[in-house]
This record gives sequence, C-alpha cells and structure tokens, in this order.
Amino acid sequence: MNIQKIVTIPEIATIDEIKEEIQDVKTFYLSFDNKEVDKTFKFKSGQFIMCTVFGSGEFAVSLPPSPEDDRFHITVKTVGKVTGALHSLQAGDKLGVRGPFGNGFPFEDIKGKNVVYVAGGIGLIPLRSSIVNVLQHREDFGRIILMYGSRSPDDLMYSYNLEEWQNIDGFETFITVDNPTPDWKGHTGIITTLFDKMELPVDDTVAFVCGPPIMFNAVIKEMMDRGISDEHIISTLERHMKCGVGKCQHCGIGRTLVCTDGPVYTYRQIKTLGEQI
Amino acid sequence: MYIIKKNDILNLAKELAKDHTMYGPVVEDSTGQAFFDRVDNIDDIDMAAPIPTLPPKHVLFPHMETIMQYRYDADQKKAEITGVFDESRKALFGLRPCDLEGILCMDRFFLGQEFVDDWYREHRSRMFIVTNTCIAPFKQCFCVCTDSGPDAKEGYDINLTDIGQYYLVETGSKKGEDLAKAMNLDKAAEEHSREKTVRVEKSITLFEDIAVENKAWISRVMNRVTTGFIDEAVWEFIGDQCFECGACTYVCPSCTCFNVVDINRKDGESLRLRTWDSCSYEGYSRMAGGHNPRKPVEDRRNKRFFCKLSYSQSKKYLRPGCVGCGRCAWVCPGDIGLPNVVTYIRREISK
Repeated sequence: MNIQKIVTIPEIATIDEIKEEIQDVKTFYLSFDNKEVDKTFKFKSGQFIMCTVFGSGEFAVSLPPSPEDDRFHITVKTVGKVTGALHSLQAGDKLGVRGPFGNGFPFEDIKGKNVVYVAGGIGLIPLRSSIVNVLQHREDFGRIILMYGSRSPDDLMYSYNLEEWQNIDGFETFITVDNPTPDWKGHTGIITTLFDKMELPVDDTVAFVCGPPIMFNAVIKEMMDRGISDEHIISTLERHMKCGVGKCQHCGIGRTLVCTDGPVYTYRQIKTLGEQI
Repeated sequence: MYIIKKNDILNLAKELAKDHTMYGPVVEDSTGQAFFDRVDNIDDIDMAAPIPTLPPKHVLFPHMETIMQYRYDADQKKAEITGVFDESRKALFGLRPCDLEGILCMDRFFLGQEFVDDWYREHRSRMFIVTNTCIAPFKQCFCVCTDSGPDAKEGYDINLTDIGQYYLVETGSKKGEDLAKAMNLDKAAEEHSREKTVRVEKSITLFEDIAVENKAWISRVMNRVTTGFIDEAVWEFIGDQCFECGACTYVCPSCTCFNVVDINRKDGESLRLRTWDSCSYEGYSRMAGGHNPRKPVEDRRNKRFFCKLSYSQSKKYLRPGCVGCGRCAWVCPGDIGLPNVVTYIRREISK
C-alpha cells in the first residue's frame, strides 16, 4: 500500500463530532477540508499523526480507527497544555494534521495466527485500530482474544465497542476492573488474574500489549512464563515528540527513534533498547 | 587548481557578495574572539581568525526560526497556514574544515534520511561554501582523531590553502570552477600544490598531546560505546560533572536537536518556532503528564556521546558524529568535553 504522507505543512481538518468517552478522555471525529486529501488519506493500524491545536501547539496521537471502513477519529486524554486546549474545542472547530507516521502494527504477516490483545486503561486506544481491522477479516485469523482491564467500570474505554465485541461470535473478550462499583457484575482483579480464567494459545500466537509500564511488565512476565516468545509480543511506545519525522530527536530510545523506527516494537526489540519504556 | 595573491583573497568574497548574503569569520576587537557571522563589509573578514566560537550551523539551522505562520478565526471557523522558508542565497567564506564536516553531517541527517527537512533544504540548496585549510591547529582541536581536518576533502565549492605568498584555490564543484574562471585566476603550478601538502603535513604534527594520544583510541572507544560495554560507573562519573547547561550541544557543529513551540502574536497571527534544544536538559524527554523515561543525568550524557561516537549514529552521518573541533571541551564547565570523555573511556578499557 502506497501511503501519501503530509510531512511539512499540516492539512486542515474539521471536528465533525465530539464524543465523551470516560473522564478526561474524548473522541474527536475528523474530516479533512481538502476533499482530495480526505479521499486519499490512508494509514496503517498502529501509525500516528501529529495534530495541531491552533494557538497551542502540536502533539503526537495514535490512530484508533481501522484503516478500512471506519470513521476517522482520534481519542485523546487531557494530560497537558495542548491536549487541554483540544478538549475545550467544539464540533466545527479546525485542527491541523500531519502524517501518518511510524511503522504500524503487523497485519498481513500475522494472518493465520491466533491474536491476543491485552490492554490496560487507555492502552486500548492504540490497539482499537488493529482489533477492528482484524475483526473485519475474522476468517483470516485463528482465535481472537481481548483481555482488558481498567481501574473501575467508569474507566473502561469504548464501552459501546466492548458491548458490541462481546456479542461477536468467535471473539473471546475478558474484561476486569481493579475496583468494582456495587453494580459491577463482571470480573474483579488486576489484569493478570484473567490468565487463569482462560486457556491462552501459545503456538502460532501474536500478542499485542499496551498499557501503563507496571501492567505491561506483569503481563509480559505472565506470557513469557506460558511460553509466548518475546518476538511475538508486540507493543507500541510513546515518547515526547516534536516533529514526527526523525529530526528533532526527542523520541530517541536506545539507538532508535520512536517516530520513524517505532512506535511499534516487539518485546525482543524493547529488551535491546537499554532504556526505560 | 588555481592560485590567488594573498592580498587579493577578499576579491573572491567581493565577487560572491554580488549575489550572496555573506557569512565569514570576524574577530571582535574588544575580546579577540572570533565569530562566524553575517558580514556586510567584506573587509571585516579575517582569514587568519582562529576557529570561531560558534560553528556556522546557525546559518542553516538558526537558533530560533519561524517555520510556519497561521491564523485561526474561531468564530468563522477559518484556518490559514503558510510555511515560512528562507530562500535567500548565502555564501560561507573561510569555513574551517571541521565546520564543513559538521555541515555535511547535517546534510546527510536532514536531507538524506527517509524524510527531507524542507526548511533546511531551502537554506542549503543555494549555498556557496569556501573553506580555509588549517595550516596550524588551534589549542583544543582534535580533528586528526575524527578524520575531519586539517584539510577539507569534499563538500566545498572552493577550498583555500595559505601557501605563503598565495592561496591555493581548489575547486570542488561546477559553481566553484565557474567562479575561478570568472575571476580569471592564474593556474597553479606543481610547486604550489606541493607546498600545500608540506603545510598540511606540518600542521598534523602540531596537535596537542591529548589529540595525538586519542587518535589511536577513538575507534576502540566507538566500538565500546556502540556495544554498550562501558561500566555504568564511568557514565556516572561523567554525569556527576555535567552542569546540564547545554553548552556542548549549542557549540557542536553536528548537534541538531530542536524543540517546536507555537506562540500567539497580539494581531491574531500565530508563529510556529523551532528552537535549538539540548539532550542534556532534564525536560528533553519529559512527556505530558510528567513521566520522564530518561531522568538521571548520566542517562542523558550517555545518549549524547552515543550520538557522537556510535556506529548506528554514524550510519546517519556517514562518519562519526564528532568532527573534532574541540568546542565542547572549550565551553564545558565540568571538563567533560568529548576529548576527555574519550580519555575516561580509554582509561576504563585499558584498566
């Protein structure tokens, strides 16, 4: 697939709709003002864009929509100055977009394999793109499993998707929360407790893991103990980023740059970087 | 190859000044310090000036540069974005060979990777470069260790060498050749180029001990830095001496880390600026929300020297990231300029 990239000057996009997800997290549905760009803008799951909030600055953000047949959107938690300014915008406001950048998740290469997604909290956002895309081609894959944990039921991302996914035949979903509310009927406990509830496929399996470092490390250990090789465990990293195209060097990790060599790394690669993730 | 009388050397600059903005070495009277900066009066150019305090990288990659301008009307929901590019013609006159290597590093980094930096390309594409061979090294120089001097090998339009009565004029491009022809310069004889060889060889013998000693070690140190077989204690020792001032990165001809900020003007116009940044600052890798994966100072020092002395970074520059100008040793208040770091690692290797 030949992907045209917007490298230097951002393209203007309009916020068509804003959806409140959970506290401090909103989804912004976008379309490009330039009709030609809107039609030709393509990306791979796992890639990211640089998003300009006019008057505030630019930030790197993952792309949660599937590259095929999905509404173009970003899901953003307010953590700093620019994301804070983004959250104050209304439908109809404009943004600038450069990208898509980064290597992206494997897709063709993992056809025929079992796919396991493990996400913690807002770590589901970057994985959503791959999940939806794999579900769109369900017959090409083996077992498809999602393990998702969050602090409380109110912190579960994409609750409408979760509901839909739980009803999809052949998509095994396991959801857990650390601190249940009185009306929570699902599983309670940290995410690693889900491993005992299921039979994890090991052979011919790829696992996508995304979440806070403490959860990441616990999950990796659990998987390696069960026999999934480090080269079949895939994650996406985040770093302070300014340019997105390998020039500003802020996102350096080990000998690689997250923007051009990442953001998707196998755990085998992560181990050789020699830096905190 | 041509020659030009020593007294006539600035005629070359005057010819270039007809259609270029000129940059050259100028010595400040009050301090005796040399700067490589814009010159409006060509006679201010001092070809005998010592190595300039700052490398000429600011000509191609300014300390602070407006790269984009935009206006957003929130009521009308209207956004307009314009890229700002410097399309002027610039000439660098009397550049030292190490600084030329610095520019070549930047060329390969900004133009030779997957993505091309359009702002840098515009600065660079109309540039004329005249280098000046170092017939004697300066006190902090160690370009003999990093294969970047005392004579320029490639990348110049014109290379000048002081050979006594004359400058030897070597042309390295069609542009350079055209200028030499337009100036009607005399052809050089064999004795002139022989004199250059003699002077360059003499120059190589005049380097300080630390440069001479490190020469044989630099590739071993690079090997260690690349493979990571350096005791953590060495990096801690180096980190302990770091003041986190960022001076080494500012004076380095090949350091190009930058930050990008948007500022809003009163008239409603916003500017996107890119400014020099330094990997020695604590906030360099800090993410929104406060998580900082590279907190300890030795972690960040380690990364700077990795950038200068590793094979993987050398692949981007097609040479070591260090060009041996010695400015970092000059400005560092903690005595961890690159030559000393090489020495510290060398000591650990030979322990």
